Amino acid sequence: MNTAGMTTGTDLHRLIDEALPVLQTGRPDDSWLANIREKGRADALTLALPNRKQEAWRYTPVGFLEQTRYRALTDGPFKALQLSDLDDLLLRGGTGPRLVFVNGYLAPRLSELSQNQRGIALSSLSGGLGPVRQALRSRMGDSSRHADVFTALNSALMTDGALIRIAGDCMAETPIEILHVTVNSEEPGICHPRHLIVVEEGGRAEVIERYCSLGSGGVFTNAKIDISLDASSTLQHQRLLEEGEDARHRSDLQVRLAEHSSYQLNQLALGGAWSRSDIKVTFDGEGASAELDGLMLARDGQLNDVHLDVRHEAPGCTSRETFKGILEGKGKVVFDGRILVAKDAQKTDARLSNDNLMLSRSAEVDSKPQLEIFADDVKCSHGTTVGELDADMVFYLRSRGIPGGRAVQMLCQGFAQEVIDRIPNDGLRARAGAMFEQRLAAPVQALAEAEEGVEHAG
Amino acid sequence: MLSIKNLKAEIEGKEILTGLDLEVGPGEVHAIMGPNGSGKSTLAHVLAGRDGYRVTGGEVELDGESLLGTDPEERACRGVFLAFQYPVELPGVNNTHFLKEALNAQRSARGEPELDSVAFLKLVREKMKLVSMKPELLKRPVNAGFSGGEKKRNEILQMAVFEPRLAVLDETDSGLDIDALKTVSDGVNALRDPARSVILITHYQRLLDYIQPDYVHVLAGGRIVRSGDKTLAKELEQKGYGWLTGKDEAA
Repeated sequence: MNTAGMTTGTDLHRLIDEALPVLQTGRPDDSWLANIREKGRADALTLALPNRKQEAWRYTPVGFLEQTRYRALTDGPFKALQLSDLDDLLLRGGTGPRLVFVNGYLAPRLSELSQNQRGIALSSLSGGLGPVRQALRSRMGDSSRHADVFTALNSALMTDGALIRIAGDCMAETPIEILHVTVNSEEPGICHPRHLIVVEEGGRAEVIERYCSLGSGGVFTNAKIDISLDASSTLQHQRLLEEGEDARHRSDLQVRLAEHSSYQLNQLALGGAWSRSDIKVTFDGEGASAELDGLMLARDGQLNDVHLDVRHEAPGCTSRETFKGILEGKGKVVFDGRILVAKDAQKTDARLSNDNLMLSRSAEVDSKPQLEIFADDVKCSHGTTVGELDADMVFYLRSRGIPGGRAVQMLCQGFAQEVIDRIPNDGLRARAGAMFEQRLAAPVQALAEAEEGVEHAG
Repeated sequence: MLSIKNLKAEIEGKEILTGLDLEVGPGEVHAIMGPNGSGKSTLAHVLAGRDGYRVTGGEVELDGESLLGTDPEERACRGVFLAFQYPVELPGVNNTHFLKEALNAQRSARGEPELDSVAFLKLVREKMKLVSMKPELLKRPVNAGFSGGEKKRNEILQMAVFEPRLAVLDETDSGLDIDALKTVSDGVNALRDPARSVILITHYQRLLDYIQPDYVHVLAGGRIVRSGDKTLAKELEQKGYGWLTGKDEAA
């Protein structure tokens, strides 16, 4: 009954009506999961679509939702995929366990589970890795209403996902990798990965989360990740979003920190026509710390959006937020960095910065750092810069024999390097650097040539 | 080797070089001295091909071919090297990586094979001895957080690695204490070569105690007003620039 021109609200109905029965019958769905789905469905159908009147969506249009008739991606493609098809995507130097998700479904044949270490319990929503433990189930759901249609849709239609429990005696020396691959079908597809990571008291782990495209196509990945850090635990979380240039991506990442836990995030969002990450970090216990580093690359016509919501709700916690944006052509970066310090969160130390490098005057940056402080004994700061390339730096490199286009590229890499260098894992750091260089290469060349053309004409 | 004839250049419509003549032969070291605002740094930047300077007349030839109108990178590949008065900091650009990429860009432009990492590191280690540079500075971003002396050493290290035909040292002595000045000068002296010409731009005679020039020129009002041998520098030290420019200079 769906025809062109129907409202999106109705189209969401259609999407849910099509996808939900498949999820419910095709998989060993437990009642706990069914409850989460039902709540997601109800919220998705009653929540308004994001629009410019909502502060959180003011600079980030979602018009594509109304213009695209998405179909739920199926797990069909991974049955035909071989590990060799992923050759170009795998990290050099290897990692520990690797969970590969294709179109949002775990692909056990492509995954690497033999290197699992003591203290790490891996399972998946679909049951592909054994039953989901009760301890994890209770942490999945959330009684509050979903914040927006995307997260509600994820709860209703979550296809599959990793459920990872790190025990207190785990001192994981190799990272756990979650690798997402989307394989496009002829129609625009959507998938909803959903992950849960719990690090129990005193545990230590490293997780790499990556999103890649095989082939081109306007796949929309609508992911949700929940992380719980119990007392005195540590998690290094590295995210690399390297999907194809016509892909769309939404991540909702929520992290809760108990006392004296420590969380480090390195997020590099390098592509996609539209990319939006909402990162919410809540300090629940005293003396915890979080370091969030991010890079946003917006090429011509692309939008890259990061919304941070860092909530200091306990005293004596420290957070550092360092996000950088690079823009080309008519690229657009949206950065909203909110730090809330609650009344009781004395001795909070929070510093946020957002620096942007615009390679084109047609690009747009909307940067909004916000501090909301209700305590009276805190150290907080925020700062935003927007700048162009420094002509003195370009000249210095050129005077050493380096061609103009390459000089621009080296300086952009230099700008990004601070974020890239802080990635703990060698293989991921190398890949992030190479991907960044590759993505930037062609437009920067064009830019340098354009500039030279102007000079010669003048 | 370098021939400058009646060079005129302006910046933002203001004429700075007003008809400058200079001939530099192979292996020669020429010092160019002059009061502030006489056009010394403009000459350095015009030779290196910096944007923003407009050449309105005259000619500059290196080995019989014009330099004017070519890109800075092309000049570098033809053997022009400018040691900056204020070396620029390049955050995030690794010093070793930068040196290697620049050297190989120059080599491939000249049709020479590129150096691989092993050969390059061997070369750099050898050249670093010339300027007594701390090895860890190679691992850091170019000039970022370097002291004044470290930046100047890094400039001379680049000169040693690139082996230019013509090196223009723009106030390399500024901001150096006496030990650093001596080290940097020793480095430059070690790089003197019958096939390499050097232009030393300086405000003070002090540098010339360490690097002995073959010729000394006084630049004033955008052109060379007096040329001589190194005794001219001594004379300037005693008398100041006023007797040549007709102005009193408080310095």
